[in-house]
This record gives sequence, structure tokens and C-alpha cells, in this order.
Amino acid sequence: MFKQIFLFELKLWFKKPATYIFFLVFFLFSMLLTSAIAGILGGATSDSNTTINSANAIAGILNGLNTDLIGAIILITIMAPAVYKDFQYNMHPLIFTKPITKFGYMFGRFSAAFLVALFVLTGTVFGHMITCALPGIEAERLGAFSIMNYLEPFLYFVVPNTLLVGAIFFSFVIFSRNMIAGYVGCVALILIKGITTSLLGDLDNKTVAALFEPFGELAFNDVTEYWSPAEQNSLSIPLSGVLLFNRLLWLGIGVGITFYTYYRFKFSQFNEPVSFFKRKNKKEMLSIASVPVHSLADMPKVKQVFSASYSWTQVWFLAKFEFNKIVKSIFFLIVVALSILTLAAVTTQLGLIYGTSTYPVTYQILQIGGATFQFFMIILIVFYSGIMVWRERDAKVDELVGTAPLAPWVLFLSKFIALVLIQVVLLFVIMITGMVIQMYNDYYNVELMQYLKELFGFKLIGLVLICSLSMAIQVIINNKYVGYFVAVLILILLPVAFNLLEWNNQLAQFNSSGPRLPYSDMNGYGHTIFSFMIFKTYWVGFCGILLVISNLLWVRGKEKGFKARLKIAKTLFNAKAKMGLAAFILIFLSAGSFIYYNTNVLNKNVSSKKQEESQAEFEKKYKHLSKTQQPRIVAANWNVDIFPYERGAKLKGYYILKNKSNRNVDSVILNMLQDVDIKEFKFERGATRVIDDKENGFYVYKLSSALKPGDSIKLDIGLEYFPKGFKNSDPGTAIVYNGTFFNSMILPSLGYNDQVELSEEAARKKYGLGKKERMANVKDSLARMNTYISSDADWINFECVVSTSADQIAIAPGYLQKEWEQDGRKYFHYKMDCKILNFYSFLSADYQVKKDKWKSSLPDGKEVAIEIYYQKGHEYNIDRMIKGIKRSLDYYTKNFSPYQHRQVRILEFPRYATFAQSFPNTIPFSEGIGFIAKVDDTDPESIDYPFYVTAHEVAHQWWAHQVIGGNVQGSTLMAETMSQYSALMVMEKEFGKQAMKKFLKYEMNQYLQGRAREGKKERPLMLVENQQYIHYNKGSIVMYALKDYIGEDSLNAALAKYVKAVAYQEPPYTNSIEFINYLKAVTPDSLKYIITDMFETITLYENKVSKCSYSKTKEGKYLVKISIDTKKMKADSIGKLKDVMPNDWIDIGVFGTKEINGKKTETELYLAKRKIDKNKMDIELIVDEEPVKCGIDPYNKLIDRTPDNNTKAFKGGGKESTGSGNGENVTITIGG
Amino acid sequence: MQLKITDLSKTYSNGLKALNNINLEINSGMFGLLGPNGAGKSSLMRTISTLQEADSGSIMLDDLNMLTQKDEVRKILGYLPQDFGFYPKVSAWDMINHFAILKGIADAKERKEICEALLNQTNLWEARKRNIGDYSGGMRQRFGIAQALLGNPKLVIVDEPTAGLDPMERNRFHNLLSEIGENIIVILSTHIVEDVRNLCSNMAIMNQGQVLLYGKPAQTIDDMKGMIWSKLIDKEQLEEHRKNFRVISTKVVEGKIQIHVYHTSQPDSSFAAVTADLEDVYFATITK
Repeated sequence: MFKQIFLFELKLWFKKPATYIFFLVFFLFSMLLTSAIAGILGGATSDSNTTINSANAIAGILNGLNTDLIGAIILITIMAPAVYKDFQYNMHPLIFTKPITKFGYMFGRFSAAFLVALFVLTGTVFGHMITCALPGIEAERLGAFSIMNYLEPFLYFVVPNTLLVGAIFFSFVIFSRNMIAGYVGCVALILIKGITTSLLGDLDNKTVAALFEPFGELAFNDVTEYWSPAEQNSLSIPLSGVLLFNRLLWLGIGVGITFYTYYRFKFSQFNEPVSFFKRKNKKEMLSIASVPVHSLADMPKVKQVFSASYSWTQVWFLAKFEFNKIVKSIFFLIVVALSILTLAAVTTQLGLIYGTSTYPVTYQILQIGGATFQFFMIILIVFYSGIMVWRERDAKVDELVGTAPLAPWVLFLSKFIALVLIQVVLLFVIMITGMVIQMYNDYYNVELMQYLKELFGFKLIGLVLICSLSMAIQVIINNKYVGYFVAVLILILLPVAFNLLEWNNQLAQFNSSGPRLPYSDMNGYGHTIFSFMIFKTYWVGFCGILLVISNLLWVRGKEKGFKARLKIAKTLFNAKAKMGLAAFILIFLSAGSFIYYNTNVLNKNVSSKKQEESQAEFEKKYKHLSKTQQPRIVAANWNVDIFPYERGAKLKGYYILKNKSNRNVDSVILNMLQDVDIKEFKFERGATRVIDDKENGFYVYKLSSALKPGDSIKLDIGLEYFPKGFKNSDPGTAIVYNGTFFNSMILPSLGYNDQVELSEEAARKKYGLGKKERMANVKDSLARMNTYISSDADWINFECVVSTSADQIAIAPGYLQKEWEQDGRKYFHYKMDCKILNFYSFLSADYQVKKDKWKSSLPDGKEVAIEIYYQKGHEYNIDRMIKGIKRSLDYYTKNFSPYQHRQVRILEFPRYATFAQSFPNTIPFSEGIGFIAKVDDTDPESIDYPFYVTAHEVAHQWWAHQVIGGNVQGSTLMAETMSQYSALMVMEKEFGKQAMKKFLKYEMNQYLQGRAREGKKERPLMLVENQQYIHYNKGSIVMYALKDYIGEDSLNAALAKYVKAVAYQEPPYTNSIEFINYLKAVTPDSLKYIITDMFETITLYENKVSKCSYSKTKEGKYLVKISIDTKKMKADSIGKLKDVMPNDWIDIGVFGTKEINGKKTETELYLAKRKIDKNKMDIELIVDEEPVKCGIDPYNKLIDRTPDNNTKAFKGGGKESTGSGNGENVTITIGG
Repeated sequence: MQLKITDLSKTYSNGLKALNNINLEINSGMFGLLGPNGAGKSSLMRTISTLQEADSGSIMLDDLNMLTQKDEVRKILGYLPQDFGFYPKVSAWDMINHFAILKGIADAKERKEICEALLNQTNLWEARKRNIGDYSGGMRQRFGIAQALLGNPKLVIVDEPTAGLDPMERNRFHNLLSEIGENIIVILSTHIVEDVRNLCSNMAIMNQGQVLLYGKPAQTIDDMKGMIWSKLIDKEQLEEHRKNFRVISTKVVEGKIQIHVYHTSQPDSSFAAVTADLEDVYFATITK
């Protein structure tokens, strides 16, 4: 019986074209994705160390394609109808009464559908295989072909996931006899995935999230995220640990659901569906209406109204009817409840940075709500549009309704309105839920207007457009499932495909919004509302056309053929319809051409490929000028007029250029952004422009008389920038209504700029350019003639007058000399009293200012003014920042050198970027990284990152603004790593050692993830090539460990010496070799190896406690026995590991617990560095109190990819160690 | 008022000729359209009801072109399709009100009155709060006629309304149909001869997309007088009889088979004369 049904179903499926179409979709999409990863699509070229056909890479592609909606939706169309078709066509009474077995029916159907689904999904596998055989893929991107690389991910992910999703659809539909139940199941899975993914914001949740994410993607990430490129290319997927548990759990759930369904399934019962609400027996009211008449001619006479206005009444009535049908269904309620739960769950992880969340400000809630609901609302729209369009036909009431005297547009329009109303309800749910969440978190600044604007302004338009498209598809295609498929294709797959192909023209991306700015408390929605409206108008035109056409093609009656429908449509295409269509076409075309004019005529829309080409061309054309001797900027003086509301600026000023070389300078090369209008480049003694390349922003001036060594010349500069219209996608955030921030990088620079050159090796090869190292060798003496941030200046004098609108404050480095108002504008004159790097910024916003003072406790008693410029309403963390500045000044002046300025200013800028940047006495600080942080002072583990970021940026006033390395490898070690170290020390003083643990855990995680993604070469810290994961994250860990090994005082003494030696130096600039030598000088010989391990090489450890036990001694003390495993490895630039013998001093620790203030707190019972020179060692030691936990390197000072197994809790207590009879183990006894 | 169908033809995309040059004139009163399953009755009904297109020909209701002026047709049409359902989980009262609004009965009071009257008339008043999904077949059909009668239609089309009803319900349904006024056109399609005999003043018999016979039931019976002969035979003899005579119907009576034969005179003495009834006319027509 099973066999017959199974084979019958299978045959049926393989006769359907849909099966092959689905297969083809997966096949093509897999090809597309793989080609994009392989870099043969013709977009931007980037370097990578990983092959595209390793098990790891294939798992990534298969997961990406299957676990998302795409997979889910195709699975629905295969799995759900497997049973639903019997109900749909009312076959179930016939089938369920046939002498078939339950087993045969259920498993026959299920297995066939499951198999077909798997067949369809193999499309990804074959698509990948074929792509790998295509020409044009770099040889190093292809590993050896191995069938296991495909089998493993297919068996671990595709098969169980298909089973899970399939079982859910199958059984939900079988129990409810309703397709929507299947969709609800799908939504639930996707929401669980969303929730678990959001949990990742806090590292402590990593394992939980990995375990419970239904598709195993997070679990897969969890086991592979620290794999170096070499490991990614060679290792197979380990089915162990959290991945194994995750797979077993969800496979179990899938199988469980299947068998539960099997046992609960009874043919008889399923003549009636399971009802969630038992229907109450309605009492039938016996009331007498009229007495039956004998002839219907005696019926009451009624008047029928066929006016247009009554048609609108009918539209509204039908819309209400349709709306009620949906929102009053149990499934809708379940879906809404699920989404509320999700939102509540996701917002607990609000904007986590270092595990610390932000206040639930409205824009955060809306952003998360929007992101969470985005996909989910699209599916709802797609599904409900199908249900609505087919409602009459599914209920077989179509002929009754079709013959009713309705105007031809009434039914379609009413359904469309109902669908839109449902979106309104969902948005309303988001709003209310968001507000409740805010209040639940004791946050009462509920910005109702922002909710309304965001949800019912911006969001709703987009949803209405999606509703139109998806309704139109259902009507035009006239097949529910094909309609679903096409809708998903257009709404979900197409954007991904466009993205992969880098077709970024927003005119072609359905429902595009043009350039967008996120909401900012400072700048609101900014200047993009206008372009947003234009783009939406364009799409309204498009959807209007679709709506008119689909209304004409609406099936009313029994004609199904497209030809017949077209014929009927022709008769309906009356003057009004023609006018409507013409109006929408007009809107579509005029908005479209206006957009085209703005994005492609007024502005350029350059693809990344074009961009690459012009970069290559630039290099070929001008590289020969790179050796042309250039003068250096020694002073900059600017008059900057910022016009926030026109989003423009006029800059007038001058550079003093000095010939610091011993050769004559006869020409000057100037670089200037293409967008900026150059009003004037005027050299004091005259010059002629010999190269005028506006395309590349490259200008060469031949000086009338050569500049002799030691001579100076003044260069007058006039610039103007006002945006022309709007661009395709870049909103431009430098000058905005409130919160302007731009720095000197956009001002004219001197000399051939090799930063413009293509940096990706693959790209350079493509354009026939020679090899180029990411950074010059650490010893490159020529490169050391420049700092790593500027190639045309050393130390400069700086002065400026900045003006802005009357309601704003404008700021630049230097001290305020004068402030005045003139012609309704405010002017500020700033002057710096010491030499600074050629690196400064201009800001303007409507600021609140909080002022404070720091007084040095050192003998000089220096005073420093502190000013925080912030957005009104962002008072939360101002005091933390002020405290951060004070503690930093305390520590740095005491340990490094005096502070060179008299003032520290922090200036908030909109969250279009999320960083803080240190300029002389001036620190622009993004509103997104600290101003709304919600630091929990009661939790010692909660990281006060506003304090940390402040400490880091203040440290840059030393590490960058006093000490700056040459433009070579390793220089960010002395800037970023040292700022991290400085901030760590300030934090440790303020919050204690315990607080550092969590911070360093995040740093470790970031470093290990970062090196896994390295596309070029991982460098040792000393040779870091501006790699953030190295100079920030690894830097933190290394410097914290170094301090631990050689002591804070001697380390700081070395640093102070170094600062003294190199601060404000003229070229050649210092490098990391010099720096390391200062460190070596204070490191005892026995520890010299750590400098090699930490700075000069890439060293990893695999430390772990394998066994531990303790027993009570006669003296009432505790004898602790610990067995440890140590593995020490050296990695090369792509992470190939080589084991080395440990001969290291490593922390051994034993911990107990104590009640402090009613809280169980961990206490150190023992902590000391022991010499570890074997891979396995047993250690015995005696502690005074009862131990709870012990560990090797318990504070994770060393780099270790499995830090969690460094410590181990004792099981039970007082038991003898369970045999340490391993012959090679060495026992050391400590203490007594 | 007269419905005039001229040279109406329709061929489905699969090649099936559903309507083959139909010509009919239908006047006020009840008109029966008789034919076996698949005769093209429903296609004709749907074409008249604006739900289907015709390939050629015309349908005129007085001056109203029913094939092109669909909006106008719908204003005066009451239609009960052969196979229909209702929205799940909607009560009869809500449903009839729903249809009343669709039919353009704008005045709330009038709407209430007509809905009440129709539910009463169809004997569904007491069950008005039940979901239509829970109705029995007969109740559904009665509800169907109630909705078809909303808004004083001038043309009522009922397609196989009594199929599957028990005799009681069928009677009730017939009573209901018979109440429909004489001054509107009612087209009743059915494959049950009795329905037509009981209700219709005019009729047509259709098969394979063609109108085979058109006239008043009594007249057609009259025309058949003396041409129907009956005989009781054994099962084994049936084949032979079919070969020799035009057997129009067979019926099992007490283990034997009673056959009716169409013959202009008595075929032989074993045949007995029977008074032709409409059934004989029907069978004689469709077995031609």
C-alpha cells in the first residue's frame, strides 16, 4: 500500500513542470551565488583566502539558500498540498473511506513529497558543481573536488531541515485542514530563527542561541566561526558539540511531529477538522418575521441602486467583510501573538555593544520592529493576497458573486483595501507593542509622532506597494501557487539577485526608496524625505498600472483562458479605465524620468566595476608622478561657511607649503573630490595648470618659479559644495540639517595619492597592474617619511573661522578666540596654539553644552576645560563621559606625558556612522555608540562603553596626536593598540579586574572572528596593516597580558620613555620595531619569549583542564589536583598551524565562592604563573578554603579558541582524584 | 418580455462543442431545460448569466443584448448555479444581507424587510443564525433560491436545483419555484423530467449542445401519442430488442425488464400500448 501511494505521488510530481521549475530556480540561484562568491560576476573584485568548494563554503551556500524563506516557501508548495489537495477538492471522504492503510496514506504521501523537496533542493548542489567548472575562477579559489564536501552539508542541514519544515506543514495542514496553519508554522520557525539570532548580541547567549536556532545555521557558525582560512579550506564539518545537539534536537522535533501526526491521525476524525474553539451552541431565536406569501410577486418591493457612490459603499462593506474574515481567524491571532512575543524577545537585546544595551528609544524599537517584521509582513501579504483573490472560487461562491450587479472594480478594490487594512492593523500592533516595551523598561519618552511617521508614513507606503504587486500577480497569473512563487521571486529573490549582480539602479528595484538616512535624534529623517516621496510616487505609478490591468483581468465567471480574459478585459476597458491607466503611466514616466535626471544626469551612478576600471586607469596614467618631489603643508587657515539647511558649504582659505626637501620643487599636484566645485587654486608666485583632470579630481600646477629648498609658498584655495538633486543611493551625510561633520580628508591634498590605487590582488591582476603590498614594509625608510594618516604634511599650524546658521554651534579644533553674529549667521574663530597633525574636522549642530574642569594632581596643577556638546534629550551618559575624560587625563598625564592641550571637547554627531574620532582637543562621537547606552551600574559585569570609548579617544591625544608612526606596517600598534591599552587601564582602575573579563571576552571573540575572515594575510601584531581585528581586539588581549607579565609600572615606564623619545618627531617617523625595543628593554630574559609570541608571531593556545578533584587534608585545608592539557601553536598568514612545545609561564588558578552582600561572588583562592613545559601536566596544590572551580589561564589572557574549557568546576567534593596514571604526566606540588 | 437566443455556439479550448447553434425563444413564465448530464445546459445557463462568453450568436432580452451589456443583465438577473457554496463560518442572515448589498439594495430598512421575507418564504427564518456551512442540501438550495430572488429579478435562472434532494425537499423546492410570478422569465435546467412536468409551461430538450425539441410539455406528449409501446422481457432478450427496435427506456420490474419502444405503430402483438408521458418524450428525443 505504501509503495503504490508513494510511487503514484512521485510520478505525479515528476510529471508536473513545477517540480522542474523549482529545481531550476535553486539551480540558477546557486550558480548566481556561487559565481558572486567566486568573483566571476563582473562586480567588484575582492581578495579571499578561502576556496569556494570546501565543505565550509558549500554549507554556507546551501544554508543561505535553503533555510531562508525561499526554501520555506517552495517547501510549502510541495509539502502542504501533499495532504491539502484531498481537502481542497473534497476528495477526503472518498479517499479516507478507501481500504488504504493509515501508514500507507500518510507516509506514502509524506515520503513522496519529502523526496521531491529534496530533489528540488539538490538544485543548489548541482548549481554549485557546475559553477565550479566554469572558466574564469582563479585557481587558488578552487580546492580539490570532493563529493563529501557536498554530502556533509546536504545531510547535516538540507535533509533534517526539509524534514522539519515538511513535517510541520504536513501535520499542521492535516490537523487543521487549512493551508494557513502551514504558513503559521513557517512563520513560527522564521521568528524563532530571528529571536535566536538576536540573542547573539550578548556573547553569553552564544551556545543557547546556537542550540535552539531551528536550521542549524547558528550552530554551524558556532563551531566554525574561529576557523582560520586554512582550516575553512581543509576541515570537514564536525558533527559534534553544539552542532550535533542542535541537529539532534530539531531532527527529533521533526521526526516527533511526524510520528505524533501518524498516531493522532484517524481517517474518520478527519472528516471534520480539529477545531480550536468549540463552537457554542447558539440559541436559535424564534421570532416571527413576516408570514410567507403565496406568490413572490407579493414580496416587499425594494429599490436597487447602481450608482457609483453606492459602489463605494459596497467596496467598504466588502473590504470590512474580507478584513474580518482574516483578522478574526485564529491563525491571524496566532501570528500576531507570535510577532508580539518576538518583538518583546528581540528588544531585550536592544543595540547591544559589548553586551550593554541602549535605552529603548523609539527609533531603536522601530528599527528592530521593522527589521523583525519586514520579511514576515511580506509573506503575510503574499499569502493573504492569494487567499483573498481566490476566496470566492475556493468557497465556490464565485458564480453567485460574479452575477451580482457589482461594478467591475468593486470586488478587486475591496480586497485590496482589506489587505492594506490588515497591514495597518499589524503596524498598529507594532506600535502598541513597542510602546508597552518602552514603558515596561521604565522608559516614558514615547514619541508618538515618530511612531506614526515611521509606521504609517514611511512603512505603510511600501507595504501598500507590495500589496498591489502581490494582488496583481495573483490576478494576472490566475494560479494561486504559481502566484505565490512569482511573488516571492520578485519580492525576495530578485533583490538578492540584483544585489549579487551589483545592479544597483534603484529605478529597477521594486519598491525602492532612494537614498535613505536612518532616523537620528539629532537630524530626524533629514533631507531624504523628498527623494523618498519621488521614488514612492514612481512606484505608485507602476503599481497603479498593474492594478488597473489586473482589475481588467479579474476573473469574473468561468472563463479561465488568458485569451478569453483579454477579450473580456477589452470590453471593460472604457474611457475611465483608459484615463486611469494613462494617469498612472504619466505618473510612472514623469517620476521615473525625474529620478533618472537626478541620479544619472545631475549625479553619476557608478557601478563598482566602473569604479575599479577608473582606479586602474588612474594608476596607469599618473603613477609616474608618484616620485615628483612635493612641498609639505605647514599651515592651514580656513574660512568655512556651513549652510546646514542647503546642505552645502563654502570654503576659502590657504595652505602654506614648504619645500622641506633638498631639491627644487617645480610643480604641485593637487587632489580634490569630484563633487566639489573648485573656485580657486592660486599659488602665491603664480603657476599654470598643466593637468586638469576633473574626472579623477587630479590637478597638476607648474610653478612659475621653482620652490627652493627651505622656501615657502602660499596656496589660496576656494571651494564650494552644494548637492545637486539626489543620488541613486548615497544620501550624503557630511552636511545635514542638524549634525554636520566632515574632516580634512575631503580637502585638497598634495601629491600622487596611492590610496586611490586598486588594493585587491585579484583586481590588480585583472587590470594588468603589478603586485602591491597592503602596506609598506615596517623598515621601509621612504614610507617612513610620511605618517600613516597624511602624506603631505608633518605638523602644521591651524586656524579657522567657521560660520553656520544662527541656531547652531560650529566647531573645529583649536580654542575659541571670538564668537559673533553677522547677517543672521553665527561665526566662530578657532585657533590652535601648538602644532598638530594635518587632521582636523568641522562640525555644526544645535547643541546643548555641558562644561566641567579637570585639575591635575601632579605638581604642575594643570587645568583642562571639559566640554560636552550633545543633543537635547541625550543627557543619559554625559557624566560618564566627563568622568571618562577626567580619569583618562589622570592616568595618561601621570604615566605617559603631559596633555598638550588645555581643553577636551566631545561632540555628538548623527548615527549615520558609528564611531568616535579623535582630533586635536576635539572628539566627534556618534550618537549611536554611547549617548543612549543604558549601563547597568548594579551589574559589575555590565560594560560602561561610553566611558570606555571616551577613554580610548582621549588616549589618542597621546597615541596618534603626540606619537605617530610612519606609513608602514605596525604603526597602528602605537595608535590604536596603545589607545586600547590606555583605556583598559583606566577602566580597570575604575571598575576593577572582574569587569575586564567580559570586555576581554568580546575582544577575543572579535579577534578570532576577524582572522577567520581575513582575505589577505593575517599579520603578527607588530606588523599589523591597519587590520582592526588585530590592532584593536588582539591588541587589547596582548597588552593586557603583557601588563600582567611584566607589571603595569615597568610597562608604563617604558611607554613614557618611548613617548618622550618620539613625540612630535619630524620624519622619518617611528615604527613598531623601535616601539617593541622599548618593551623588550623592560622585559626580563625569562619572559622575552612573550614578546616574540605576542608581537612578532601569531601564537595560539589550546589550554584546558581535563580533570580536577580535591580532598580535605588533616589540617583542614584542601588538596587540589588538576590535570591540564596545553597545546601551543604558531599560525602563518592564512592560519596554517604548527605545533610548538610549550615552555611558558601560564596562570593556574583555583576559585571559591563567598557571599558578598547576599550575592555569591567568585573569589581567588590561588593564582600564580607556573612553568608549563609539557603538553599534559598534573598539578597539585593546597588551598585554605573549599574550592569550586579551577583552571589554566582562567582569565583568558592567552589567545585560545575554546576559552570556556580553561576552567572546570569540581564535581562533588572530597573525592580522590580519579587516577592520574598517565605515564608522561609530570606532577608538580605547590604550596603546603 | 422575451428572451431570444439565436445561433448561439461555443466550443471549449479542448475541442468540446458545448453549444451548437442554439436557437430558442423563451417567454415569461417557467421554462424547463431538460437534458442529460453534459448536454450543455449549464454552459447555456452560464452564458445567459454573463459568466461565460459565446463564440458566436446572440442572446437578446427584448432590446437588451445579453452578451455585451453584462452590467445591465446582472441588474435584472437572479441566478442559482448548479454547484455552489458559501463562505465558511457565515450565518444565513449575514449571507443574505451580504448578497442584498451586492445586489444594490441600499436602503437598510428595505434590505431588512426583503431579507426577512425571503428567509421566511424559504422556511429558513428559524435557522437564520446557523452557519450556512451546516445546512442540509435542501436548506442550501432554498437559501440559494432566496438569494437569487433578491432585488426583484426579471430573469431567474436555476441550474439543476433539485439534484440530490430528497422527495420532501424537492416538493418544498417546487412549491417555492411555483410561487415565482408569471410575469418574469424563469429558466429551470434539470435532468429530472418530473420537475419540468410539474412546473414548466414551456420546455426544450437538449443533448450534445443542441436543442432537440422545443415546445409545451403537454403538446409534446400529445405529439408522441400512440408511438410508445411497452413490453416485459427477460434480461437476455434486451440486446436483441435493442437491435430490432428503438428502445428508449428500460426499467427493472420484478426481476424482468420493462422496455419502452418508440414506434409509429404497434411493432408486434407482444407490445402493449402505453400512454406517453413526458419521460417518454424525453427519452425518445435524446435517443434519436
